[in-house]
Amino acid sequence: MMISLNKGVQHKSSGHSSFLSKILAEIRQDRMAYMSAVILIFIMAIAYLSPLFLSIDRVNRIELSQIYHPPSATHWLGTDDGGRDVFGQLLLGARNSLTIGICVTLLSSFYGLTIGLIAGYYGGWADQIISRILDFLMILPSLMIIIVFVVLVPNYTVYHFIFIMSIFAWFGKARLIRSRGLAEREMDYISASKTLGTPDWKIMLFEMLPNLSSLIIVNMTLTLAGNIGLETGLTFLGFGLPSGTPSLGTLIALAKNPDIVQNKWWVWLPAALLILVIMLCINYIGQAVKRAADARQRV
Amino acid sequence: MSLLQLRDVSVHYTKTGSFFKRKSAVIPVIAQLSLELRPGEIYGLVGESGCGKSTAAKAIIGLHQLSAGQIFFNGEDLSQLTRKARKQQMKEIQMIFQDPYSSLNPRKNVWNIIAEPLRNFEKLSKADELKKVQKLLQRVGLNEESVYQYPHQFSGGQRQRIGIARAMALQPQLLIADEPVSALDVSVQAQVLNFMKEIQEEFRLTMLFISHDLGVVRHLCDRIGIMYRGSVVEEGTVEDIFRRPQHLYTKRLLAAMPEMDPEKRQHKIKQRLQINEEFDRLADTFLDAELQQISDTHWARL
Amino acid sequence: MLTFIIKRTVLMIPQLLLLSILIFFLAKQMPGDAVTGAFMGKPNVSAEQMEKIREQHGLNDPWIVQYGRWIRDALHGDLGQSFVHKQPVTQLLAGRIENTIWLSVATLAVTYSLAIPLGMIAGRWTRSWADQLIVTYNYISFATPVFVFALLMLYVFGFLLNWFPSGGSVDIRITEGTPEYVLDKLKHLVLPVLSGSLLLTYSTVQYLRNEMIDTKMKDFVKTARAKGVPENAVYRNHILRHSIFPIAAFLGYEITGLIAGSVFIETIFSYPGLGRLFIDSIMTRDFTVVTALVLISGAAVIVGTMLSDIILRIADPRIRFG
Repeated sequence: MMISLNKGVQHKSSGHSSFLSKILAEIRQDRMAYMSAVILIFIMAIAYLSPLFLSIDRVNRIELSQIYHPPSATHWLGTDDGGRDVFGQLLLGARNSLTIGICVTLLSSFYGLTIGLIAGYYGGWADQIISRILDFLMILPSLMIIIVFVVLVPNYTVYHFIFIMSIFAWFGKARLIRSRGLAEREMDYISASKTLGTPDWKIMLFEMLPNLSSLIIVNMTLTLAGNIGLETGLTFLGFGLPSGTPSLGTLIALAKNPDIVQNKWWVWLPAALLILVIMLCINYIGQAVKRAADARQRV
Repeated sequence: MSLLQLRDVSVHYTKTGSFFKRKSAVIPVIAQLSLELRPGEIYGLVGESGCGKSTAAKAIIGLHQLSAGQIFFNGEDLSQLTRKARKQQMKEIQMIFQDPYSSLNPRKNVWNIIAEPLRNFEKLSKADELKKVQKLLQRVGLNEESVYQYPHQFSGGQRQRIGIARAMALQPQLLIADEPVSALDVSVQAQVLNFMKEIQEEFRLTMLFISHDLGVVRHLCDRIGIMYRGSVVEEGTVEDIFRRPQHLYTKRLLAAMPEMDPEKRQHKIKQRLQINEEFDRLADTFLDAELQQISDTHWARL
Repeated sequence: MLTFIIKRTVLMIPQLLLLSILIFFLAKQMPGDAVTGAFMGKPNVSAEQMEKIREQHGLNDPWIVQYGRWIRDALHGDLGQSFVHKQPVTQLLAGRIENTIWLSVATLAVTYSLAIPLGMIAGRWTRSWADQLIVTYNYISFATPVFVFALLMLYVFGFLLNWFPSGGSVDIRITEGTPEYVLDKLKHLVLPVLSGSLLLTYSTVQYLRNEMIDTKMKDFVKTARAKGVPENAVYRNHILRHSIFPIAAFLGYEITGLIAGSVFIETIFSYPGLGRLFIDSIMTRDFTVVTALVLISGAAVIVGTMLSDIILRIADPRIRFG
């Protein structure tokens, strides 16, 4: 009898595949997502490998004799207001923007996860209090407050910027994880863990969290794009990266001057288009990831 | 001496009101429930769905807060114990859940599922742990090789066996089974039940068996408590309940059991209708009724 | 329903209170106060005199007293004095708020008049080429950062094609009140409005499309169709009635996005509204103006969200909050 019970078990295993392989399958099926992945990997490879063939000092060196030169053989995309090579700045900026976007996403996910898990796991009063606080935080005019913070922080550095941005980027995540956590906590496997003597923090981290992982990955991909957009936007306004750390927004910031918008397109247009491409790529991939996580999205 | 004793236990669901409504609705689920389990027996708790039997189980194992009453385990009041002592006591009480699909974490393989209680209470080396897990798997009739498999690769009956292996890992004194077969195919139910009986005898377990199915309880249990609207209305041995039911609600449950003998069917239907009518008439008076001792083992609220 | 409205309105009070406290402390962190501001550029005032004046103005009182005074003044319409513009902040804002309201109203109007037909077409003929096109547009509008899009609009339509003015809210040479003045004002609005609304359509299109796909499967639509009600009438009556009201209700939730967007758009098109004023003020460290603007924006979002919650609740009692 026991033998017959176990028959066929081995064969069933092929039906289930890991989330990562589902994502890859989904991307392979969707032409746009596939192209996006290729383009994004290409951009990231060039941006992150650029230090190998580009000296950062040389890219950042100011050459007053070469201000606003149009594109030429030596400067593929011309030069900017300091006579710096726009192409070099572009690579450097793309790298910084991507890195900062990723850092902010990771950091804010960490906050959102912690708070969301606590609210979702404990429910009841903890959840009530956290939800009220989130309700309030979500209605803050965060863009303005971020800008005020950026201006007020003394000895402002990149790390301050990442920290300030991440402080305002986790509310939605916390809420998302909270609501899924509340549903998950009603499942018997959570009750089972409690009765087996597993401490709460372990249940949260090792029982509940793995079951929310696909949700979190989807959310992180989609917010990565948003965070890159916000970083470049803030830098564009002049309240983002400190000078000396070029971002894609730094080049576009020069376009606040109408003369540059009109007559020196090579300074800002490539950076603007690059942001657009990066954002579209990440979003297409994000949508594919979302479909992989939730088959109902296929409608 | 009893292993587990519930003394006037009540559990309320407080509907967590909104921010404005502090005084939120209080819904009693079990009210003044008293129970006693003797070492080595199987006690069947029977009642219709929503009567509070699962809540009682969850209250015993600590998943629900008591709003009144005490629970004694091995003579100690669980609520009076320190956190640490309580944890040691709770180790002796384990539970098998109703739904074998949601009670196993889909992200964990069988090894990690069964080893979870071991990791909380026993410091075993990895090799010893694996050996123990495999032994448990073997005991519940599953292949030792399945330690690396995931819950979705098993059938409902097999999953419930994994759940039993997990509950047995710490060799508890008391096992609570909350409708352990109601989510399974009828064909598998008997298998799992027989197997639970085997385990109970082998480890001389005390078991609280919760069910809505009188037929199942009759074969498995030593004593039976009939629960209605949050409290036990009649308690007795299998013999007492089936041969000499006193409470109207018990009679009604018995009348609802299908009759196999076609000749008695007509008679049974008539009897059922009559009991139902009487029941509807008197249903509201049950809860105020007095406790009456019928024999040494048998009492009812009449 | 009435209790819900009252409750929801009452909930606004702690939110506003918290917001004002937060902003008050933020303002305290900002360098310079009313006194340093007033005496800026007057070197003959000594430090002791300054301290005395500070004492007189109550700037050394405990924070709760200062906060009380500040909020009382704010409620009376006194938001302090702008150091840079040398005029009361309220007066300064009054001059700019009109432009921002125009911009916002126009942006929302264009957004909805684009999004509603698009969403309905996409949902009505799912998987058609039109749907594919609309879905692609939706992807792009969701992904595009507003400042990049606004710059591209400015470059293409403002400079390359020269169809629309590239900045400002009106040509100052035209006299106020004439038809040309209105026309010119509208012309100046075209690019900023399009830059905002073309990206804002996302959520409405998405919502309507999903709603229509869902409704199609519902039994009452099938019944109506089976009874011979023309397909178009089914959509017009049922879907419009069920979906348009919630969409109107989302308006309040859009305010956060509108405010953030207006900061970028007004900067790029040199449009003299509150967003632009915010950036200018923070550049010149004119912190009383900054504080006032953050306060107003926050309050606007709180009120907008409240209105949306209430409208949505009236539209669809199944929706629960909290």
